[in-house]
Amino acid sequence: MPLLKADGVTAGYGDMEILRDVSIAVNDGEIVSLIGPNGAGKSTLMKTVFGLLPTKAGTITYHGKPIHGREPHDIVTLGLCYVPQVDNVFTSMTVEENLDMGGYLLHDRDIGSRKERIYEFLPRLRERRHQRVGGMSGGERQMVAMGSALMLEPELLLLDEPSAGLSPKLVDEIFDNIRRINASGVAVLMVEQNARKSLAMSDRGYVLAGGQNRFDGTGEEILADPDMARLYLGG
Amino acid sequence: MNGPESPQSEVAVADERRLGERIRATIQTRAFLVIVIAIIIAGLYAGGLVAGTSGTRLLWLTVWGLALGGIIALGGIGLTLVYGVMNFPNFSHGALVSLGAYVTMSFMALLPQGPTIWPMSFGYEFLVAMLLAMPVVGIVALAIDRVVYRRLRRTGAHLVLFAMASLAMLFFVQSMVYLGWGPDFHNYYPGRPNPALQLPLGIRVRGDQLFILALGLVFMVAIAAMLEWTRMGKAMRATSDNPQLARVRGINTERVIAWTWVLGGALATAGGAMYGLSAQLRPEMGFWLLLPMFAAVIMGGLGNAYGAMAAALIIGVAHQVSASFLNPTYGPAVAFVLMVVTLLIRPQGLFGRGGG
Amino acid sequence: MTQVVVIKGLMLGVSLALILPILLPPGRPWRVPGGIAAGLVLGFGLALALPAGYLSYVISFLVMAGIFVLLALGLNTQWGYNGHLNFGVAGFFAVGAFTSALFTIEAPTGIAAQYTQVVFGLEMPFLVGVGAAAVVSGVIAFIVAVPVLRLRLDFLAIATIGIAEIIRLIFQNERWLANGPQPLRGIPQPGRCLFQSVPCDWLPEWAHWIVEPLGTRDYLAFYLVIVALFVAGTYLVLERACRSPWGRKLRAVRDEEASAAMNGKRVTQVRVQSFVVGAVIMGIAGALYAHRMVAIDYSHFHALFATFLVWIMLMLGGSGNNRGAILGAVVVWAVWSGSAFLAHALDPVLGSIHAELAGRAQYIRWLLVALLLAAVVLYRPQGLLREELRVSRYLKRWPSGR
Repeated sequence: MPLLKADGVTAGYGDMEILRDVSIAVNDGEIVSLIGPNGAGKSTLMKTVFGLLPTKAGTITYHGKPIHGREPHDIVTLGLCYVPQVDNVFTSMTVEENLDMGGYLLHDRDIGSRKERIYEFLPRLRERRHQRVGGMSGGERQMVAMGSALMLEPELLLLDEPSAGLSPKLVDEIFDNIRRINASGVAVLMVEQNARKSLAMSDRGYVLAGGQNRFDGTGEEILADPDMARLYLGG
Repeated sequence: MNGPESPQSEVAVADERRLGERIRATIQTRAFLVIVIAIIIAGLYAGGLVAGTSGTRLLWLTVWGLALGGIIALGGIGLTLVYGVMNFPNFSHGALVSLGAYVTMSFMALLPQGPTIWPMSFGYEFLVAMLLAMPVVGIVALAIDRVVYRRLRRTGAHLVLFAMASLAMLFFVQSMVYLGWGPDFHNYYPGRPNPALQLPLGIRVRGDQLFILALGLVFMVAIAAMLEWTRMGKAMRATSDNPQLARVRGINTERVIAWTWVLGGALATAGGAMYGLSAQLRPEMGFWLLLPMFAAVIMGGLGNAYGAMAAALIIGVAHQVSASFLNPTYGPAVAFVLMVVTLLIRPQGLFGRGGG
Repeated sequence: MTQVVVIKGLMLGVSLALILPILLPPGRPWRVPGGIAAGLVLGFGLALALPAGYLSYVISFLVMAGIFVLLALGLNTQWGYNGHLNFGVAGFFAVGAFTSALFTIEAPTGIAAQYTQVVFGLEMPFLVGVGAAAVVSGVIAFIVAVPVLRLRLDFLAIATIGIAEIIRLIFQNERWLANGPQPLRGIPQPGRCLFQSVPCDWLPEWAHWIVEPLGTRDYLAFYLVIVALFVAGTYLVLERACRSPWGRKLRAVRDEEASAAMNGKRVTQVRVQSFVVGAVIMGIAGALYAHRMVAIDYSHFHALFATFLVWIMLMLGGSGNNRGAILGAVVVWAVWSGSAFLAHALDPVLGSIHAELAGRAQYIRWLLVALLLAAVVLYRPQGLLREELRVSRYLKRWPSGR
């Protein structure tokens, strides 16, 4: 049974339908990439999975149990965490407070040890622990966002364009972190503009366009498909 | 509409813009705002001296101003938290202040009147009545949210509709006060004097004013501790900072909103009761405080409770000191000037994020 | 049919004939002639059918409704067409009223000067007073608008509610300006001399017989014509403006500020213009109010009366639609006036519940209008009449949708 399964999902903002009949699945321990042109509905799918947008048709299940129609603060208790593309940190708070908020659902006695693990995993955060996130660079914010999402030790991490707006060097660092996260047993579903890079490290990928499934397969299959390469991977 | 401009003039415009932006960047710093506000306050003191007010009297006025600032702060904390968490200016907050003052009065009528606590003018029944009124008004605020604002939230309504609904609720609650207690002015203790105490440095302050100042500080410290250390406080700050992310992190924002209303209503009641103690109860007392409260909220930075408290104290002092040479009813105008200066220089306020 | 009834019928008829064509559905060929005919017939019919007391009530109702129509049109220019959240309508209304009063009033001398203090009394004609009201209100709006309009729109709401309150405080406290807390009395009424026992000097001798039987209590019918002229004139100017490139610019800035700016529209300039135009109309409404009331004081310009009611009118009628603003103003004014009767009827009921409640029924009116606004916001935010997306007067049909 897949960990996360979206089946025939239709969703959007208000009366506007952005996704039509989209289906994806993520298995335990996998990295799955969602790629496609701008406006394809990738971020909309992430938000819908996480309950930030209503599912108008179709089903979303996690461990086989339906989660569509549930509130985000409810979904996060099930073992999946989400890092939005923008506004993914509390800018008025320090790094440490952001991690505390990531562990909002934990018992107070667990927060300290979890934070310790995050600092070990992302040592740069420890140096900056008392700094306000509002004044930090894009790459550092992305790390704070990921660190906060990992506080609950999720089984599945949803990442919406983790490398957007970062310099090539930082992109490599972020991808490296994602690989390390995955290596520790966390399944990852990510939306990426850096399609080639993300597909190269993904087990599988889905190509969305115009709010619908266009193609799916393993990372290599998508990279090898001439149509996909021409249309969505920029040559 | 505009005719084609020559490339030269475009360059000139661009240059001008860059210079303008540079000037603006210098002006929009926190330091500049602090300097301008300091100059305004200094000007008010100078105005008082020029008008023949003695230095010691200006000193009392400052202490009174801090007491008034405590009242404004109590109202302003709720206003700024609602602004931060729900992102709309809640005009009905003023009416909650009035309602709180009157509900306190009604509870007092039910309680046995105890001896006066020296050096204040009131007995324990006043404090008990206020503590009883606080949750009552908090629940009224929550009920209004459930009936009005929550529906708007569900439809994802624009800020404007929230503002308008809050205007409607301002007049709704205010007319309830008029209906329930009538248009006449009231005193908590009609005819009971509260003689001024003689403090060092020639300061003459009434015991009530000291009490208001002390209670204001107690509440402020309590609120600060709550926001800093408790789960709900952190959740409030997080929701105010980024509501969507707060939900993603597992915070039940509806519950945060509910507690924000209860807390805001309760603090507004404390502010109203304090204001009623220092002046009189009038149905429009909260409307009169609305402008100073909003000034504190904007000066402190939207959603920033600490900022609102600090700004409220500044505004209270400015308000009282200006009374040394201006008709005291112009107090809201002084607050307004400070607010507009803040908006012009640094709309994110003294303690808001962004900029230098 | 007496001469008085004929003259009053004529005045009422002309006023209604000016307004009704506006309210009829647009785009029909019979709109203007039909509206005028219906207005005249209705006016004469009312004058004939109603007893004098009721007729006076209707006329007085219509005068105030007309003044509120102007306020609603002014607010619609700001909010409906350009998205300004002006919660300080009362301020501009007060400025207009006091300005026109000071321009037209006779400065008191002798003993009267002890009771009534004014900064000046220029004894200018009515229209000069109205013009001055428009200019001063516009200037104040300009001063407020320039710093605040480039900020978030909720700040404008806070700033305008503050400005209105400060304007009210000034008129309450400053005795030298316009008699402080005491009412400013003796504001002249245009053409009132026609209704006095010795008619105006300028009226030719041969016409005296026409106004002969009229008394000063009939004056309001004449004032209604003046108000109706202002309403119709304002409506026509606004409708033309809204369908001009300027009007399109306003809506572009309201709906898509960034893209309007990128298309070369001077956003700040446009926003300031619409705010000032709206304030000018509110100032004119204030002037008309002052000359209607003859005596005004600060308490007339309470936020409930002069800001809140206007917002309900516009929200109920439909923001962005001038016809809706007019309709909303008339309906809400009718509700508000009618609720006075309700309050009167409820007073004994309240009194029987608790002795102290007697006499407080008027506050139930407030309660009602507050609930009305809340209901409109919750259930019909677009108002009774939706915005007409008519882009240009060169286009006959307007795009459907929305």
